[in-house]
Amino acid sequence: MSPKQLEDMYDAVIVGAGAAGLSAALGALRSPAIEEMRASGIEPRILVISKLQPLRSHTGSAEGGIAASLGNVEHDDWHWHYFDTVKGGDWLVDQDAAKLLAEYAPQTVINLERQGVAFSRTADGHIAQRRFGGHTADFGGQPVRRAAYAADRIGHQILHTLWQQCVAAGVTFAEEWYVTDLVLDGSDDGGAHVAGVVAYDTHSGEVHAVHARNVLLATGGAGRLFHTTSNSWDLTGDGMALALAAGMQLEDIEFVQFHPTGLAHTGILLSEAARAEGGVLRNASGEAFMERYAPEHRDLAARDVVSRSIMAEIDAGRGVADPKDPQGPKDCVWLDLTGIDRDHMEAVLPQVVETIREYAGIDPATDWVPVKPTAHYTMGGIPIDTDGEAYRWTADVDGVDGRTIVDGLFAAGECSCVSVHGANRLGGNSLLDACLFGTRAGTRMAERIAEAPAADPTNDDVADAATEVDSLDTASTLRKRELNELLTAAKPADDDSAAENDAYGATADGSAADDNPYRLLADLGRVMEQALAVRCSAQTIEAARRTLHDDLMPRAVALHAHSDVAAFNQEVTAIWEARHLVMLADAMLDATDARHESRGSLMRLDYPARDDRRFLAHSMTALASPAAQHTDDERLHDVRWQPVHIVDFPPKDREY
Amino acid sequence: MTGMDNALATVTVRVNRFTPRPERERAARGGSPFAKARRGGSPFGGGSASSRNRRPRGKHWTQDYTLTVRPEDTVLDCLLTIKRTLDPTLAFRYSCGHGMCGSDAVAINGTPTLLCTAGVKDWAKRPNQFAQTDAEGFRHTGDDATDEAASGETPADGGAANDLGVIELSPLPGFPVQRDLIADIDPMLDQIRKLKPYLQADGVLATTAEGKVDVFEYLQNPEQLTKYEMLSNCIACGVCEGSCPVFAGGDAFIGPAALIAASRFVNDSRDTALDTRLDAIDTADGVAACQSVRACSRHCPRGIDVGEEMWQIVAKVRER
Repeated sequence: MSPKQLEDMYDAVIVGAGAAGLSAALGALRSPAIEEMRASGIEPRILVISKLQPLRSHTGSAEGGIAASLGNVEHDDWHWHYFDTVKGGDWLVDQDAAKLLAEYAPQTVINLERQGVAFSRTADGHIAQRRFGGHTADFGGQPVRRAAYAADRIGHQILHTLWQQCVAAGVTFAEEWYVTDLVLDGSDDGGAHVAGVVAYDTHSGEVHAVHARNVLLATGGAGRLFHTTSNSWDLTGDGMALALAAGMQLEDIEFVQFHPTGLAHTGILLSEAARAEGGVLRNASGEAFMERYAPEHRDLAARDVVSRSIMAEIDAGRGVADPKDPQGPKDCVWLDLTGIDRDHMEAVLPQVVETIREYAGIDPATDWVPVKPTAHYTMGGIPIDTDGEAYRWTADVDGVDGRTIVDGLFAAGECSCVSVHGANRLGGNSLLDACLFGTRAGTRMAERIAEAPAADPTNDDVADAATEVDSLDTASTLRKRELNELLTAAKPADDDSAAENDAYGATADGSAADDNPYRLLADLGRVMEQALAVRCSAQTIEAARRTLHDDLMPRAVALHAHSDVAAFNQEVTAIWEARHLVMLADAMLDATDARHESRGSLMRLDYPARDDRRFLAHSMTALASPAAQHTDDERLHDVRWQPVHIVDFPPKDREY
Repeated sequence: MTGMDNALATVTVRVNRFTPRPERERAARGGSPFAKARRGGSPFGGGSASSRNRRPRGKHWTQDYTLTVRPEDTVLDCLLTIKRTLDPTLAFRYSCGHGMCGSDAVAINGTPTLLCTAGVKDWAKRPNQFAQTDAEGFRHTGDDATDEAASGETPADGGAANDLGVIELSPLPGFPVQRDLIADIDPMLDQIRKLKPYLQADGVLATTAEGKVDVFEYLQNPEQLTKYEMLSNCIACGVCEGSCPVFAGGDAFIGPAALIAASRFVNDSRDTALDTRLDAIDTADGVAACQSVRACSRHCPRGIDVGEEMWQIVAKVRER
């Protein structure tokens, strides 16, 4: 679906159509501000641009649940959820944001139910809830059933329901369009505002300048930075890279959560629900080793704790090989589900069972399943406040907040960082973050829209049109030129062989001339996996940076398409994605390098302890201006440190 | 190491490819005053834009790729290897890679199914010279297994023991092809949208024992959930539509996917629009067009017995 024609000016463009993007669209359209505007006869002009048809979004793969202290199964209290979120994030959580998350979680979940989500139910018809790692009663006490679920398909249910509601609300989509540029106007040091985005329609192969007063980025995470990931092929960090390229900072991007139970080398996720229902991790000798690492919560300790425990077992030589690759490295452990009754397993873990049967060829009711930590979630992202507005941070001076909002720029979901996840996200909090802060961002955006709607006939656009059109149109022209270069490079000498280019395979010898973005992505994944997966050190970071600068970055620049037909030319999109990922990888390495401590998901072998004195702070990483770039080393980024908002819970040791 | 080598095999992936005519050729045509007039409004109907989109012109051909694989690999694994090492121009939709996103429905050996759930060992067929197109582009048909000529033609050179054979791929049937294995499934999504695929509940807020209004979920017991839970698992991949002989080739029949979406709400105890929903599908191009062939059930990746559900919804409409 594509818009019949583009408006000259949009009130808002939302980039991405997963839980966060769709929640933002609905949040805006249902807000009192927009209702009032419509009552006076002015329709909002909102466009959702997405590189996938919305139902293909990765939200649909979330399995386990969405956390909320509904207390439907046992007594619960949102203050406990608030505490668990802060503790889970190893105190690198902005507590004002986490408080909102926990307090409004029940409302968010109930609203999802009332829109149609087919939640699993208790016998008396309420939303059913299950245990999830790190969620406790009484501020760190016994595990509590807090995750509302829909069998093990909660993400699918939420994604489809939100899309259905967008159909009801008549939301306009530009599907399978890829945003290549975020364009901001005004000074970097304040007064910056959104001009719009440049978008590439993959169907027609055309580049469009899309003018907008507000832009919300909701493009999801960047799991494809790593070789083994649970993320779909489309999680290429686009929104974060767009923001970085536009001169924004990224917050806390050194924190990447590795889900402990990826299905061996496939990276496909086996939901935490498998352990919640009684699954046990075992090493090569069959020992249930989590008892040693987290005596109280054992297999349901926070994800980073479990991932590190698995790695420790593997390092100690107690790992097992993926049975599909028996001669390969012993980099897996067992997940033992045989203690769960077969019928019960089929009823509550259908997706887990199906995945294991289909992709490992194992019957989990009788055999142990090989698992390995898999890159799962990027905690950091585009810095936003609790209304979803993106900001730049300089320095807090004399108690004055150093945040400067970029007018009209919003973000939500995994690509953003309101900092509710801190250094490590709790299970069930990602869908909650996307839906809750997505809705809040939409509501705030609606207030801005109502102040000066694009469709208001009395609204004089000429003044800002004269200045804004320039920079966006310039960016669009540059992008069109680049597209032409990418395509003309593909033009073969013999026109007839353009399509049936059998020779490509024959001449593919790994030389730069025959490079392609898919190969580059695979190489990048291996480099990042070695450098940062679960553990790292200055040494691994430096080695990766060198490969990135000497090999991958020049290759990314040199990429070109191998077909000169623009329509549905997936390689063109893949080239831009690869460039986004390479850019983001470099920023992630620099942010990781700058943090000399271990916290949450970040384990630095050379700095194994948490250091609250120096690093109870968010890293704010931006491309350094050329003048300010370090001359003595290769780092291209400038990292600043923004203090964490501590409200109710002073930092403590994080023990499970 | 040698143990691993034994597990490897070769497979030939045969792709029915299509490249739309490059834009610049169209633009050149647009320069003609006749072409312009045609674009502006065809005398043969108002849908000139959509019919042009749905019948793109371009080049069709078949291409073989031979790769080394593990028999347990998926067909999607094969295509990703092709993109990375042989031919980055091959176009096909894919995203999650494990059967949840619904992007990658194609026809494998003529049968609609998902690339990421199809195992190489389950779909590869031994080579058969009559299955290959001849110089004119025609293909002989017949039963592979009993065809003597085929086994006689099996190449006797080295890799034959580990050669799994051929997997043939085409875009999802019943939909216009856009490029290679990418089909335009918008007609299906339009049909789903037409049937108001969203919960229409009473909106009444529950009250507490003291009579105070409280924002609660709608209550729904597990038995009520069971009535539509399976239907709500539909991922709109289009496999059922591509399998349906009534749906194929035209867009009159509203199709199994839209009817599953309608049925999902018809069977949801929270929904209050039952009558209008049944009215909307009680038409010649609605339930009446279903011929109970039940081909739609065979490869539903979510395990929905689509044919049976069609039968149930037809019965519901009739029994009113």
